[in-house]
Amino acid sequence: MSTHQIKRKKEIDYKKELESASKGMILVHEPKVLIRLIVRMIVRKVNVKHAAMILYDEKRDSYVLAISRGEAGVKVPAGYARIEKSSPLIRIFYEKEYKNFITDNGALMTSDLDKLLWKESIVANGNGTKELLYKVSEQMQLLNAIACVPAYYQGTLLAILLLGEKGNGKRFIQEELDFFSALASDVAMAIRNAELFDSLRKEAMKNRSLFIRTTIALASAIEAKDQYTAGHTERVTKYALSIARQMTANGSAQFPLGFLEDLHIAGLLHDIGKIGIPESILCKTGKLTEDETIIMKQHTLRGVEILRPLTELEECLKGVKYHHERYDGKGYPEGLKAEEIPLIAAVISVADTLDAMTTDRPYRKALTTPAAIIEIKKNSGVQFNPLVVRALVELVEMGRI
Amino acid sequence: MRVGKGITMPKLLIVDDESDIREFARNFFKKRNIDTHTAEGGKEALEIIERESPDLVLLDVRMAEMTGIEVLQTLRGRNNNTKVIMVTGVEEEETVKAAHELGVKGFIHKPLVLEELEKIVLKELAGH
Repeated sequence: MSTHQIKRKKEIDYKKELESASKGMILVHEPKVLIRLIVRMIVRKVNVKHAAMILYDEKRDSYVLAISRGEAGVKVPAGYARIEKSSPLIRIFYEKEYKNFITDNGALMTSDLDKLLWKESIVANGNGTKELLYKVSEQMQLLNAIACVPAYYQGTLLAILLLGEKGNGKRFIQEELDFFSALASDVAMAIRNAELFDSLRKEAMKNRSLFIRTTIALASAIEAKDQYTAGHTERVTKYALSIARQMTANGSAQFPLGFLEDLHIAGLLHDIGKIGIPESILCKTGKLTEDETIIMKQHTLRGVEILRPLTELEECLKGVKYHHERYDGKGYPEGLKAEEIPLIAAVISVADTLDAMTTDRPYRKALTTPAAIIEIKKNSGVQFNPLVVRALVELVEMGRI
Repeated sequence: MRVGKGITMPKLLIVDDESDIREFARNFFKKRNIDTHTAEGGKEALEIIERESPDLVLLDVRMAEMTGIEVLQTLRGRNNNTKVIMVTGVEEEETVKAAHELGVKGFIHKPLVLEELEKIVLKELAGH
């Protein structure tokens, strides 16, 4: 085989390896996993004595040799060494005046540094360049490195790929340096993606918590109006979530992803429409007239009206709208029957009734929980979805409600 | 170890239960003309200290068999005042206090700066 053919073969190999690294980048969320793969691949395929990745560590505000692979004694153990931000090896990659000392594909080679140190113009310029280059060379020697390849993202140095000597003692060929440089930019991208992903996740969590707290604030607006519902929404939400979890546990329902979150919000907001009901009706101690009952029943649809602008709440709205539907079809507002009633509403309906029965009302005293359960059981399959009732009964039997 | 006419190489003992660290540090200091020994645990370390009388011990704090502090206590209990530098990951106040009371020369925190490791070790070995 001619040398040309050998070279050709290597080039193809590197391209293949690069492709698989790039694929890995898409699949791997944790950049350290990808970096470990890359470092291992370099040691194996390029046959270097050792390779390592130096990563910027935010907590320490310095660069830590975090991942390392290769011959024992030559490789710097992972987590053992750090490099200060102010040290020459970092500065040479950051400061513009040193840009020329790095090869076109971004690698810094000890062989180049040694040559530069003999150059008249550098020795004589007197601005400390020689000293800096000398220190960089020393630092690389301490790390047993002959090449360093930086990984930047928009001008920020995120990592440095550190390479030891090749097993055969030869210099790196152009294809190898290109390969390292491409891998380094893959690593920078992976780190950056992970950071972005993380900050998005944090942002989403923050929004989520703000949303829940806003919902609670909104729900408390109803309680301010009707003292008899004080604490009601909170308890209904608690019961509803317990019931739904029990339905999952006993295998009677398989809820879609996000159901519990929707139920949480719907529980808090199920009576929000009562804000639109006059206090004379809402807080009336005697029996409601027929007209008043009609107005009172409007609270489900009023709730939907209030929340309609919040398009993200589509699923929750079903809970608000249908929590007074009955299993036998005699409920309101639409007279839905049995499984036509969305589960989110069926669960709130039982939770709502349980709390209404076990708290004092203007027109009657509270029932005990066992007495309320007997009533609810009687209405299983009549007013309530039997699966929901079953879960509630189980919870009470286990002493969890 | 004797080198040439009456010039003695300084002797260093590295105690760490991670073999990668022992091997790296051994090579690191050998290159700097230091007679470097290694031990992977407290028991072995104490034996080597008795036998070789190193001028300085680099002692890892967190080790499975015996902690660095325990090694140091045993050593001082035997009235042995060998110079010791502790190598540690996280700073634990109690460890630091105990180590200082047992007369250590200093602390190095992992991840460490190699130049600082070199400097502190060479400083302690100067004159040996």
